[in-house]
Amino acid sequence: MTSNRTCLSALAMLLASVSLPTTSNATVTVLGWPGGSEETALRAAVETYNGTSGLADADKVELLFFNREGFYDKLQADMAAGSTAFDINLVATYSIGRYAPYMEPIDLGSEAEKTFGDAVLKTMQFAGKQYGVPTDLSLHFMYYRKDLMDALMQDEAGKTKYAEISQQFLGKALQPKDPDSWTWDDWAATSLYFSKQVNSESPVRYGTVLQMKNLLFNMMVFQSLPRAYGGDWTDQDGNVTVDSNAYRTGLELYKTLYDAGASPKDSLSYEYPETNAAFSSGQAATALQWNAAAADLTNPETSPAIAGVTGIVAPPAGPNGRADHIHGLGLGMNKNAKNKEGATRFLKWLATEEAALAYARSGGSPALVPEVVAKVAEARPDLVKLGAFASKYGYVMNGATSANALSIYELQAKEFTGYWSGQQSLDEALANTRSGMQTLLKK
Amino acid sequence: MTIVRRSEGRVFLTPLVGFLLLFLGFPAIINLVYSVSTVTFETLRAPTVSGFGNYLAVLADRDFWRATSFSLRFGLLTAIAECLLGLFLAVFLAPLLTKRPVLMAPLMLPLMVAPAMVGLMYRLVLHEFAGPVPYYLFEWFGDSPAFLDINNAFWTLSVVEILQWTPFAFLLFYMAYVAVPNDIREAAALDGASGWKVLWLIELPLMLPTLVIAFFIRFIDGFRVFDNVYALTGSGAGGSTMSLSIYIYQAFFKQGAIGKAVAASVVLFLASLAALYILNWLAGRRRRS
Repeated sequence: MTSNRTCLSALAMLLASVSLPTTSNATVTVLGWPGGSEETALRAAVETYNGTSGLADADKVELLFFNREGFYDKLQADMAAGSTAFDINLVATYSIGRYAPYMEPIDLGSEAEKTFGDAVLKTMQFAGKQYGVPTDLSLHFMYYRKDLMDALMQDEAGKTKYAEISQQFLGKALQPKDPDSWTWDDWAATSLYFSKQVNSESPVRYGTVLQMKNLLFNMMVFQSLPRAYGGDWTDQDGNVTVDSNAYRTGLELYKTLYDAGASPKDSLSYEYPETNAAFSSGQAATALQWNAAAADLTNPETSPAIAGVTGIVAPPAGPNGRADHIHGLGLGMNKNAKNKEGATRFLKWLATEEAALAYARSGGSPALVPEVVAKVAEARPDLVKLGAFASKYGYVMNGATSANALSIYELQAKEFTGYWSGQQSLDEALANTRSGMQTLLKK
Repeated sequence: MTIVRRSEGRVFLTPLVGFLLLFLGFPAIINLVYSVSTVTFETLRAPTVSGFGNYLAVLADRDFWRATSFSLRFGLLTAIAECLLGLFLAVFLAPLLTKRPVLMAPLMLPLMVAPAMVGLMYRLVLHEFAGPVPYYLFEWFGDSPAFLDINNAFWTLSVVEILQWTPFAFLLFYMAYVAVPNDIREAAALDGASGWKVLWLIELPLMLPTLVIAFFIRFIDGFRVFDNVYALTGSGAGGSTMSLSIYIYQAFFKQGAIGKAVAASVVLFLASLAALYILNWLAGRRRRS
């Protein structure tokens, strides 16, 4: 009798422990891009949406964020495992091919085209189907110190020194120019001139801040340099061309600047936040950085030392003109979403002008059609530049939307940082990259 | 008298056995299958068995051996440093801590912080424009070293690890030290033994099992390091701070080479098993002698 009672108690406890976690969740869960202006903007947009009158409790949106480190890997593991932890997930231009099998295409309605325009909607399309709402378009701005450049243009002795430095490091005597007409050599000469290690009279410690950490996002920042020299991942026949002169020139220029002390010594561990901190400290003359940083770098509250003197232009030009790497982020629907109706309702709302403007006013970076962006131009002048630069200089490398595009960026990050840090020669780095890319593009 | 009958014992053991089978046995079998298969994220449920190619790929991979070397050096250096520092602190602070045991709490604080958070914290602390360490170095000496560049990253990472985990070794050694019976120390003192001789000939031999255990726990933790290294430097420029755990993570997620990653983890498991077997055999031989 006692034995039976003991067994029954144990069984009851076991059943109770199994049945407890099955409580259902009736809201729409959105897995967003964590830790930057995108998170702030999404939080604000969701607050607006949840405050909509008549919205059922079951359709209210909850946000979920995890660390940026390994975000895409965790997302892939979750989605491949059929996770139902989120109804809506982040998707990026360079990873749509990787995640499309686990996502559901959506119809955003006609208002989406009036808000974003057809070209921007395409950054979230794969195999002709719409997989997401394009919430943020990322490209790169060349941030520079207007006060330093103005002073240099007036300084005859400085110009002589500038020519000497450019002759010594770049093999040609250059003269200072307006940043909007910089070539990559002009930018390099300016970076060297404003570095204490090269020019002890420089008013700032470094001429630039290079993001050189072994990280795929840093490779996106770097690509516009070889691209301006005509670089591409493959030719029209699909042959890998990463070992071109364009890539050699770009990689060598970064190494010249790093070795000369034009960028902080720890640049090999720098990414987005380190670059922002360095530039906003007032100790760097230029920085090639994501457009998302504009809101912080031009805000007197977050960057009091430089907000009033920060200028923004497109990345410098090469023999093939200017180039600016575009990378779209968006939100789309998980194939295993529990609340597909609620998720669709939120995504359709997110594609409206009202939502896009709320998102833009809170620090997000949607690429909007001129009529819509005009409504936030005063508060967000950088969004006007964003649209203009994207249309004039935006590009996507051949093969950069393939299923293994992110792995290719990873490979480049490892090999290129190996060269910059002096662990391998340029030839070895390019040969390893070429060989790895051939394998990845075949898969 | 039997307190619990055999049948009741089985009932209570069932959840534990089920847990072990489910969470250890099942993944182990899956790992073995994946390690001899061609498998991707799309074919996780239907891998194709393809022989020992993954093992050959791992053993022929220069990065695997480089990561093994990093993990071994990191594990050995940090374990030795933590044990030496921990032992010194245990012996040096023992009289104070016996009188003021409350001081133990602040000494244990580093153990309370998650390693990933420690990595992020030092990323800030060592940043040239935001961190206090470079700030004061610039103020006092006009320059600051590059803590995370290719030449210094290994040493910086080791110091961060040692600062966080020395308290663990210290805690074990302190408990072992105070457990040494005082009458032995007093007897030695009566015989005229100096403090150094008491430590060397009496206390340390009595603490030896704890010293060995602490060293191996710290070596294993250092060898498999992931969180703080990944948060601070990632895999480092050109893969220079890639530990074996980071190698496996990157092969699995970044390259999508699931079979290769799992094969590397199986190789690591077999190597660990062999090392433990040899150590066990040596310990047994010592006991017998």
